[in-house]
Amino acid sequence: MPTFDLQVNNHAYTVQAEEGMPLLWVLRDLLRLTGTKFGCGIGMCGTCTVLIDGEPTRSCITPVSSVVGKYIVTIEGLSEDGTHPVQKAWEEEKVVQCGYCQPGQVLNAVALLEKNPHPSDSDIDSAMQNVLCRCGTYQRIRKAIHRAAEEA
Amino acid sequence: MKDQITRRDFIKLVGAAGGGLVLAVYLDACVPSAPKVVTPTIVGPTSTLPPAITWAPNIYLKVDEQGILTVTAFRSEMGQGIRTAIAMLIAEELDVAWDSVRIEQALADSRYGDQQTGGSVSVSSYYTGLRVAGAVARQMLVNVAAQAWKTDAAQCRTEAGFVIHPDGQQKSAYGDLVDRAAEMKVPSIASLKDPSDFRILGKDIGHWDAPQIVTGKAVYGLDVRLQNMLFAVIARCPVFDGTFDSYDDTATKAVPGVRQVIALEDRIAVVAENTWAAIQGRNALKVVWNEGSNATLSSDDMKNAAITQLAKAKPKEGNLTAIYESPYEAHATMEPMNCTAYAHDGLCEVWAPTQSPQDVQRAVASAANLRSDKVIVHVTLIGGGFGRRLQSDYAEEAAQVAMKLDVPVQVVWTREDDIQHDFYHPMAVQYFSQPLDQVYIPGGLARGGFSVPTGAWRSVENFAQAYGVQCFIDEMASALKRDPLDLRLELYSGRAANVIKLAAEQAGWGQPMAAGEGRGLAYHATFGVTHVAYVAEVAVVETGKVRVKRVVAAVDCGQTVNPDNVAAQIESGIVFGLTAALKAQTTVKNGRVQQSNFFDYPILQMSEMPLVEVYVVPSDQSPSGMGEMGVPPIAPAVANAVFAATGKRVRHIPIR
Repeated sequence: MPTFDLQVNNHAYTVQAEEGMPLLWVLRDLLRLTGTKFGCGIGMCGTCTVLIDGEPTRSCITPVSSVVGKYIVTIEGLSEDGTHPVQKAWEEEKVVQCGYCQPGQVLNAVALLEKNPHPSDSDIDSAMQNVLCRCGTYQRIRKAIHRAAEEA
Repeated sequence: MKDQITRRDFIKLVGAAGGGLVLAVYLDACVPSAPKVVTPTIVGPTSTLPPAITWAPNIYLKVDEQGILTVTAFRSEMGQGIRTAIAMLIAEELDVAWDSVRIEQALADSRYGDQQTGGSVSVSSYYTGLRVAGAVARQMLVNVAAQAWKTDAAQCRTEAGFVIHPDGQQKSAYGDLVDRAAEMKVPSIASLKDPSDFRILGKDIGHWDAPQIVTGKAVYGLDVRLQNMLFAVIARCPVFDGTFDSYDDTATKAVPGVRQVIALEDRIAVVAENTWAAIQGRNALKVVWNEGSNATLSSDDMKNAAITQLAKAKPKEGNLTAIYESPYEAHATMEPMNCTAYAHDGLCEVWAPTQSPQDVQRAVASAANLRSDKVIVHVTLIGGGFGRRLQSDYAEEAAQVAMKLDVPVQVVWTREDDIQHDFYHPMAVQYFSQPLDQVYIPGGLARGGFSVPTGAWRSVENFAQAYGVQCFIDEMASALKRDPLDLRLELYSGRAANVIKLAAEQAGWGQPMAAGEGRGLAYHATFGVTHVAYVAEVAVVETGKVRVKRVVAAVDCGQTVNPDNVAAQIESGIVFGLTAALKAQTTVKNGRVQQSNFFDYPILQMSEMPLVEVYVVPSDQSPSGMGEMGVPPIAPAVANAVFAATGKRVRHIPIR
């Protein structure tokens, strides 16, 4: 089985995995970084989002072999202590319900704000459109993104 | 009364709340004696554990020498906020600062009574009991401090973790009192706070678990990681209640990482070193299914048969008659079904995202052929429940796999497994026929059930009921040339009429709207207890395409523990209901569910989220529950708005 050198949250890891194994399962089952969640397995729900060189990426359809040498950030690595402006805004706007999709929501929002520091509602809708939340926290996510934009 | 608080004991409380209301609340005064658990180390994220515990006056709370309150959540958290609510109720009466609160989740444990989290009753059932649990503990701490000060306990007060001397100067931290409190007799009387003195209840407090959730540390069922654990994915017959005749696992065993293929009675488990290998292994498995008697089942046929049967009813002349249809619905929780199980030391220990830990305990005991007390059920956070996790099927099969292994195993359902092996919200066909010369709240004649496995789905029968009744009221209004609001105010009174009026006022009922847009009103009291009225504003943008722009909600749920969470549950109910009302349905053909993932079971997305405004009626009535109540009125409000916009009556779900 091949080995891959990965850079995740500022740590270097060497993992032994099948070439086609999605990054999601490498993170969750091999590295035991379970903050990245499994939702659909086909890149449709956004729950498994991680940042790869800053780009929000669906880890469930991203083969491990394609991320060697890239800089991977998962929810665990977004901040040392949960004080990233987006994490703080999420708490202040009381976004979470079951919370399962929220690591993916937070990372997609982080990527949006990197590119567009003051997004409009429709910018938010297009950027967050494919990150699903069954609890229906969308209205609060919008507010939290605006708040993070103001406070960043 | 017994002297030893460590002895199993019950106390009867006479509380002062509610104008001399006598409260008979029974608290188990013994220190929790957890069953013998040989829990292996959890590797990976775990919740922050509080420091050493010194005093547990009852099974609901502990206070340690740092003054940290640890409450035991004995109901399941799936986003509705019950862990936070339990902690708020206890912390209020114990009188500690919110930042010194910790929460631990209870195991399945009969000392907590029925732990099933369903029917939106956790707060209404425990609103007083949990306050009493906190109040008793507070009284004990006050008594200890008063004794040391040689002063009258009744003259002492408390504030944020301190007992304050009557002189207003001296104070004693709870943490410094717990060792002596542990030697105190449990008092038979403790008074509850007057609501005007509340510091925590009635405040907007975010979920206690939120910091763990936004940092990825929260542990859901799928996040349980144990030493040496394996992962399994299960092949189940695509037809309900089917089984298998034979299988060929040659290709499966060739998949790197696959360890074992285990045949269960009607399904086959592929056990591997990681989830991906287990999925690949299952994909490679060749199974000859025995589809059984449901192989020709079709939801369309069942629906059409029901419609034909109901249409045979001969309505009285002059009656207004209509048939309303709503389909099967999947739960589609964001966290697919899963359970981790470990058979060891004569026990079966499971970690389950379950709404009903004691049902899981019974199901696992039966599957593993063990006594219930040999089954330890850890309840994790739940990535969406909506009633699906009242079932125990996922735990039962995980236990069956674990019993064949000597290491822990996590059984993971893929999204396809989850959508296709659900216990669905039942399809319903409802027939209404009412005279128009006398108006009363209509009652439908329903046909449902059929042969598809069904179960509780957020708000259960209220969803279809509200759809039929509230749409039919609008049909009556239309036939009588009356305003739907006026007719409702004739049909409903009291708290119901109050929320209907409030929603209509706030929404600007009657004000003109643009062409192609309309307003619709609906009201429903789910389980007959919480009053919810919605005005939905929709735009019908192109043929059949309905966009819900705004929903104004008015709610009367009695007293609120956490008002912002009431609003959150309304937003949540609206989104959950809109997915069913506008987008997703489960259909069955050839005995199989035809949908498999989010492309054909599409749930509401960010761009489809209406602006939601929530108005909560201030109330001193008992709390009545919120988890499910936001769902039922949205579909009829939208259907009625579509009629207002287009003149077209929609009598089926999804509305299109």
